[in-house]
Amino acid sequence: MAETFDADVIVVGSGALGSNAAYELAKAGKSVILMEAGVRIPRWKIVESYRNSSRRSNYNAPYPDMPWAHTSYDDGYIENTGSFDFHPGMLKLVGGTTWHWAAAAWRYLPVDMKLKSTYGVGRDWPIGYDELEPYYQRGEEALGVVGVDAQDQSGQNGAPSPRRSKPYPLPAEGKTYMFQALEAGLSPLGFNFIHEPVARVTQPYDGRPACAGNNNCMPVCPIGAMYSGDVHADHAVAAGAELLTDATAYKLEKGEGGKIIAVHYRTSTGADVRLTARAFIIAANGLETPKLLLISDVANSSDQVGRNLMDHSGIGMQFFADEPVWPGRGPIQQGGIFNRREGPHRRNYAAIKHALANNAPNVPVTDRLIKMGVFGPELDRRILEDASKWVDVSTVFEMLPHAENRVQPSTTRKDALGVPMLKVHYDIDDYVKAARPVAVDDFHTFVKGMNGQLIQISEGFQNRDHIMGTVIMGSDPKDSVVDGDCRTHDHKNLFLATTGVIPASGVINPTLTGVALAIRMADLIAREV
Amino acid sequence: MRIAPLLAGSAALFGAFSVAHAQADAPYDPAQIARGEYLAKAADCAACHRTREDSGKAFVGGYVITSPMGDIVAPNITPSKTAGIGAWSFEDFDRAIRKGVRPGGAPLYPAMPYTDYQGVSDADMHALYAYFMHGVTPVDTIAPKTHLPFPFGIRAIMIPWNWVFLSHKPFIATAGLSPQAQRGQYLVQTLGHCGACHTPRNLLMAERPSKAFAGADLGGWHAPNITSDPISGVGGWGDAEIAKYLANGHVSGKGVAAGGMAEAVDNSLRYMTPADQLAIAAYLKSTTPIRDPHETRAAFNWTSPKPVPLSAYETGDNHKDQAALKDSSTTDGATLYAGACASCHGLQGQGSKDDFYAPLVGSSTTGSANPSDLVMTILTGVNRTGADGKSFMPAFAEQMNDDQVAAVANHVFNHFGRADTQVTAEQVAVMRKGGAKPLLVTAMPWLLGLGALAGLGIVAFIVLRMRKRA
Repeated sequence: MAETFDADVIVVGSGALGSNAAYELAKAGKSVILMEAGVRIPRWKIVESYRNSSRRSNYNAPYPDMPWAHTSYDDGYIENTGSFDFHPGMLKLVGGTTWHWAAAAWRYLPVDMKLKSTYGVGRDWPIGYDELEPYYQRGEEALGVVGVDAQDQSGQNGAPSPRRSKPYPLPAEGKTYMFQALEAGLSPLGFNFIHEPVARVTQPYDGRPACAGNNNCMPVCPIGAMYSGDVHADHAVAAGAELLTDATAYKLEKGEGGKIIAVHYRTSTGADVRLTARAFIIAANGLETPKLLLISDVANSSDQVGRNLMDHSGIGMQFFADEPVWPGRGPIQQGGIFNRREGPHRRNYAAIKHALANNAPNVPVTDRLIKMGVFGPELDRRILEDASKWVDVSTVFEMLPHAENRVQPSTTRKDALGVPMLKVHYDIDDYVKAARPVAVDDFHTFVKGMNGQLIQISEGFQNRDHIMGTVIMGSDPKDSVVDGDCRTHDHKNLFLATTGVIPASGVINPTLTGVALAIRMADLIAREV
Repeated sequence: MRIAPLLAGSAALFGAFSVAHAQADAPYDPAQIARGEYLAKAADCAACHRTREDSGKAFVGGYVITSPMGDIVAPNITPSKTAGIGAWSFEDFDRAIRKGVRPGGAPLYPAMPYTDYQGVSDADMHALYAYFMHGVTPVDTIAPKTHLPFPFGIRAIMIPWNWVFLSHKPFIATAGLSPQAQRGQYLVQTLGHCGACHTPRNLLMAERPSKAFAGADLGGWHAPNITSDPISGVGGWGDAEIAKYLANGHVSGKGVAAGGMAEAVDNSLRYMTPADQLAIAAYLKSTTPIRDPHETRAAFNWTSPKPVPLSAYETGDNHKDQAALKDSSTTDGATLYAGACASCHGLQGQGSKDDFYAPLVGSSTTGSANPSDLVMTILTGVNRTGADGKSFMPAFAEQMNDDQVAAVANHVFNHFGRADTQVTAEQVAVMRKGGAKPLLVTAMPWLLGLGALAGLGIVAFIVLRMRKRA
């Protein structure tokens, strides 16, 4: 007698990765259940909440933080035991945290994926760039990525790289005046500016309008020009998937033959439901995914689940340009200086990316002036002047995986459903610390090159919200959680769609890579179930 | 989705029925083919005879046209001999377009606007034939057949319809019009088939000549009055404004095209020469004015907005209550407008100065006495390419329920447009489903019942007569 299942595939998590996997599988004719701990909220509601907020610099603030579906900024939700306060801004609602990302949609370089064999540090990916390339393309088409085809994204001013089989789906947006001014001032000093590929459309695309430069990518794009995962959650539903909201997965149940047989979820009213499927995809972000595996005691024969946590922990610098450059026009970032993205220095210290932030700087400018004691009409005048010249450089470093940097279920704190919260231990290693003075030297060169006036260098490491390594990918089941297909070594029908699989971090925002891996995984599962 | 106002359709598999006597090898002048291509654009053939996917090749068909009588599949009209019209003679082609009869004798449904095309000139027919036989790439993909529900599925019902509504007369321009307006009349009444949407229909779904271009409902939208009346029609528009609207799909201070009109601009009108666009304008300005007595001011002329105080939009910090952040049930029009609309259209409906974001003040859509077009624009958005570029608005059908759409539409009418125009959630629900069905469809079960009674009566009469004779 044939076994019956509630679905062919259950996807836990409706963010960009889970929703893309769910959509691909539903499109392939599979029955799919897409589970989401939070609720579905229309964009207008989030915009309205943002407009009415007095905490506009808090990117999680317009999104609900419910006792059964906490955002990561909820007081006490993440307990830190290491030297670094690890606090990425993660959301729980249909569409996930791509509601407030800056939509950077980079590809890794082939060498990024072979770090150990090239430079003798960190780990190699078990798959190569060529295997991923077609899925990068499909990911870019799903997200509506705009970009410049002919540039060397490795930052070495060489031939276009990494290799592309097709052009970007849409042309890049124009460069802002600030980006042009900095490029004109610093290129002659040998700094290579790279125009960032982004999932922020420049023409109407897949029901989304073109970016109009609201400069509000975080905390919410008011018009939906910037991609967010709800696009594909909705596409998945239109293709036949069933979307379950208010459904927090709290246990994966092991069945016969090393397979996962069911997922258990709990609703905000306390109802418990068990759902069975032929295959499971956990797409609950790089912190919650390992937590679910650990509390279910699955996929962890390597003892690597939750370990090897990496962010692109970074530092920052602000200076005044010698004339107005008008930050805040257009999207909140457009790229930056990439000379140190790649090179032999990676044997000794981390790769570095200097991104140029383009947020309207009124809040930090005003904050600073008030702290300096400027008030009255002089304050107004100075806000206008300082905000026009403000340049904000946001720098990130490549991380290496270390078993001690880890996320675990909290043993002391639980949410309203009785599901453990998170405990994180995270330290910054010497590979990164050795790169910091190099970045600081660059900062001084930038300021001098622009005839600028340094405001401040923030050398203390900062969160960059790029969670990697926690369910690390590798070819050896003894030291990794998933294989190159994102299938867990321990359970052949359990797959993980999260940037937590990434074993070598490079310096680029990992979401597009996660989407590409999710689509590749969905193709494989569609052939198997 | 394109909406057919009429019965519509026609089936595929023409090749199976037709006699292969096309003059495929006859020499055709490239200029003749180019002329035919222009006329095919003017006739907007591509609007219906496209593929189901946006990316498909031209004229391959397969696209599903939603008509009140059922779904009609547009056939392949590429010169494929197996799947399209490649085997048709000029006479076959001409009879299909101008008489609504395909090779083999089966009548077409008037979703194919042959009642308008019947006036196309002989010369233009030859150019169109040259283009479709020699300028279009043949594609051997057979479009699915159309199956309308009973009784519309019986094509023979079109024969008596055609006796009544097909004149078989050539186009004759109205005497006394300027040559420019006469040219416009030809384009409007034949190739452009403007009346297919803009002229109300009678009980049998034929256009009413006495109400030509007076505006009509279809698929939830309202195709507005385009007669020369200065209040209800386009009499208040300058000729150049009308021409610009046809080219770009929008004119500052007058209005924007959405729905079926956006498609007409996108597929057809923007490709017309400025001279032809002006000719259409000249003709529309010469049509018999038809006034709706409810209207006292031109739709574009509601230009005194009632400003919305900021306190209506920003009601205070809501972050003390997390549950409020996930509650999207509000039916407050100002709240919905602030969240969904104001980012582009502005807090006071002012739009952008360059019209990239349409102003809601002084717009024919928000000043209309009929709420349909504003509601349908909110539900379905806008996706239009005009001669001056793209225009896009996202659809809100999945973002708001009927009550919310009504609330935000009424906020717009109250503050930026014609405040007397209001809409209810019930009306929105009907529009969301594609609008009210015409009487012919809603009454069909009754009509069929009457028909059966009448038939029984006739049978009884004959039987009685025969018995008497016997």
